[in-house]
Amino acid sequence: MRPMGLARAAALAAAVMLPEASAQDEAPPDRREVEELKAQVQALRDQVQALQQQIEALAKGSVAPSPPAPESLPQPTLAPGQPVAAGPTRSPGLMNPAISGVFQLIGNTSLAGRDDLNGFDLSEAEVAFESTVDPYAKMNLYLSFPADESPEVEEGYATTLTLPASLQLKGGRFKSAFGKWNTLHTHAFPTVERPDALAAFFGEESLTNDGLSLSWLIPNPAGLYIDTTTEVGTAREGVSFNSDSRALTWTEHLAFFLPAGDNATVELGGTASGGQTGPTESLLGDLDAAGLTETLEPDDRLPSNVYGLDVTWKWKPLQQNTYRSFSWQTEALLSRRRVQALDPGLFLTESTVGSAGGYTYVEGQWTKRWKLGLRYDLSGFPDSEVDRLWGASGVVRFIPSEFQELRFQAKYTRFNESAALRFGADDEDDTRLFFEWIPVIGAHGAHKY
Amino acid sequence: MTRLHRVPCRRSLCAALVRSSIVAALAALAAVPPARADARVKVVATLPNIGAVASAVGGERIDLTVIASGTQDAHFVDPKPSFIVKLRSADLLIVNGLDLEIGWVPPLTQGARNPKILQGGKGYMDASSGIRVVEIPSSLSRSEGDVHPYGNPHYLCDPLNAEIVAGTIAEALKRADPAGAGVYEQNLKAFVGRLHEALFGKELVKLAGGSKLSREAMAGTLDAFLDGTSIGGAPLRKHLGGWLGTMAPFRDHPIVTYHKDYSYFAARFGVRVVDYVEPKPGIPPSAKHLEELIGRLKAGEARVLVTRPFVEHRSTDALAERTGVVVLTLPIEVGGDPQATDYFKLFDLVTERLATAFGGEGPAPKGR
Repeated sequence: MRPMGLARAAALAAAVMLPEASAQDEAPPDRREVEELKAQVQALRDQVQALQQQIEALAKGSVAPSPPAPESLPQPTLAPGQPVAAGPTRSPGLMNPAISGVFQLIGNTSLAGRDDLNGFDLSEAEVAFESTVDPYAKMNLYLSFPADESPEVEEGYATTLTLPASLQLKGGRFKSAFGKWNTLHTHAFPTVERPDALAAFFGEESLTNDGLSLSWLIPNPAGLYIDTTTEVGTAREGVSFNSDSRALTWTEHLAFFLPAGDNATVELGGTASGGQTGPTESLLGDLDAAGLTETLEPDDRLPSNVYGLDVTWKWKPLQQNTYRSFSWQTEALLSRRRVQALDPGLFLTESTVGSAGGYTYVEGQWTKRWKLGLRYDLSGFPDSEVDRLWGASGVVRFIPSEFQELRFQAKYTRFNESAALRFGADDEDDTRLFFEWIPVIGAHGAHKY
Repeated sequence: MTRLHRVPCRRSLCAALVRSSIVAALAALAAVPPARADARVKVVATLPNIGAVASAVGGERIDLTVIASGTQDAHFVDPKPSFIVKLRSADLLIVNGLDLEIGWVPPLTQGARNPKILQGGKGYMDASSGIRVVEIPSSLSRSEGDVHPYGNPHYLCDPLNAEIVAGTIAEALKRADPAGAGVYEQNLKAFVGRLHEALFGKELVKLAGGSKLSREAMAGTLDAFLDGTSIGGAPLRKHLGGWLGTMAPFRDHPIVTYHKDYSYFAARFGVRVVDYVEPKPGIPPSAKHLEELIGRLKAGEARVLVTRPFVEHRSTDALAERTGVVVLTLPIEVGGDPQATDYFKLFDLVTERLATAFGGEGPAPKGR
């Protein structure tokens, strides 16, 4: 028999022998309906059989229950011993918020002999909770346990999910959207400690507000990410906005994000914050020394403004995205505030003090687990036009897994004379070595880009 | 005597910055076209394989954006703000699910201010719905590496799961665009038909019907069906073609893979994954683990090693050098290789390269 003849015979035989043969596709409508009904009956048989098997398995306690699959959703073959379930399992326990814990063990030594800085500290432990509140909002809560201090709410805020017009409202306690670094929690810093300028202008706790934040993702014909954030609240930090009058602080941040090919991105930002501040530490010290604490009452509502610019460039090749990366981030800050001082005639005088600072940080990654970073700091202080410092740091980051990191950092800092006095240092330069260990447990939320 | 100078807050740079940013924002808003000129359904898929299936089902009626590239590790995609812009106007977001994208999809969806594509929203689709998931851990501990609590998320390495995903996508598109229901149904039928022919071979599909074969394969009874059904005195297996036909001679052949991402593929095509280059999921290989693996490879436990374009090659190169194992860098996603331009070409490439590698190694080693 010729091959074609054999194929035709085989097809005919198959049409007879196989109830679900492809001939059904070409059958007239009545027969097709019959074939469809047959198929449905067969599917129901399969389902019944699968259910019987599940019941038997359940009786033996060996297999998790799974709903029967509809006819249109055939199920794959499973290798022996493989656990089985139909889709993601859900349980009431999953209604709990995502909970995570992280701590930072920091070892620190000053080669300049500043013994007060030496030693190890469990610098901070953080417990984080994150969950949606309802269909309209989500909530984040970060409880911080600083070394030798009382626990506190580091951040706790609700964020709307369904506001119209690309708006998003946040309310609670949150790190202000001032530039890039200020929004980071300490364990997410790329270096052991924050840049000197941020510490000088906002203190060791970042610029944090209790208040409201309204963010608007601005539509634009170019399809670029342009976001403006307006915040109003009561600042909690103790340097630029430390008024006891609880005057409101406002912040306006504008961010542009520009893709630069598949592998690189550029982000530009500008921020302005305004509020009020109280007397400086040096004025309070002078009043105390002069015995005028009860006589002179310094102003607690002095205007204070801080401005910032930030630029971030990131490069990460798509194909090696877990092995190679390079980033450069720079922020510049400028402060202008009214400052009172005690003059030689024991009068309170007032003047405007301008100061500036900033940092630049570059980081390269050459293997999955290792990163090397270099940072240069330059900073003044918002209550002084003469105090200055500069510093240079190198950090090696070892990342065994996504959930653990070890860091080694060396930092050299050079103070001018008055800045050295501010820190109670005898020398005008200092070299410090840091070690940091950051383990994370639980379901820690993903960080923003 | 106190001499206080209250200087009124002058019109500061702050106010100017605020004003200028608001003006710029309003100007940008004014420049936006008032209505969408393109009436196509805006679909965002997180991964290329899902995008490829969505493209086949949606056809010309959808405007598709795929976030991840086929050459990158889908576990570690950066949540770039440019993706947030895409998601802001999306009608439908299709995710792989099973926590594969847990590190980068939540920041994107929560930043997009688009309630439709939030989990639970009418425009959010988890493609793993209806998938029979394997390797669900009985207990969760990160001491086991970066385990996925809901099971192995690489289910699209089994082409038959693409049939399920295509059906789910078609339903989601019909809900998002009821006017196109007929088109989506037609495209789904065409995709599934082509998938059956690619997997089983045109001849076998013509003889037995793709749906029947698919059901038998999913039930794990395809072998019995092919061997127990005769046509012209010959078992139906004789007509097996397609990807399964290509891989049929290499049933039970052992392989080593870099990551635990071939469980579904192995179950479908009958190959045996005997070990992994990663000692635990997501954990880079240690020297000790590589030495153990070298010992197993030298003992002939496997002669083919499958790695990925986005993982390091130093370990696999060393294994190849010291044991002679054949290292295949195979894409796992569409676009992971220049030739893998769609879901069908992806499996064409994978099965052909595997068959070539197995073909050069002789019969499968005995025992397990």
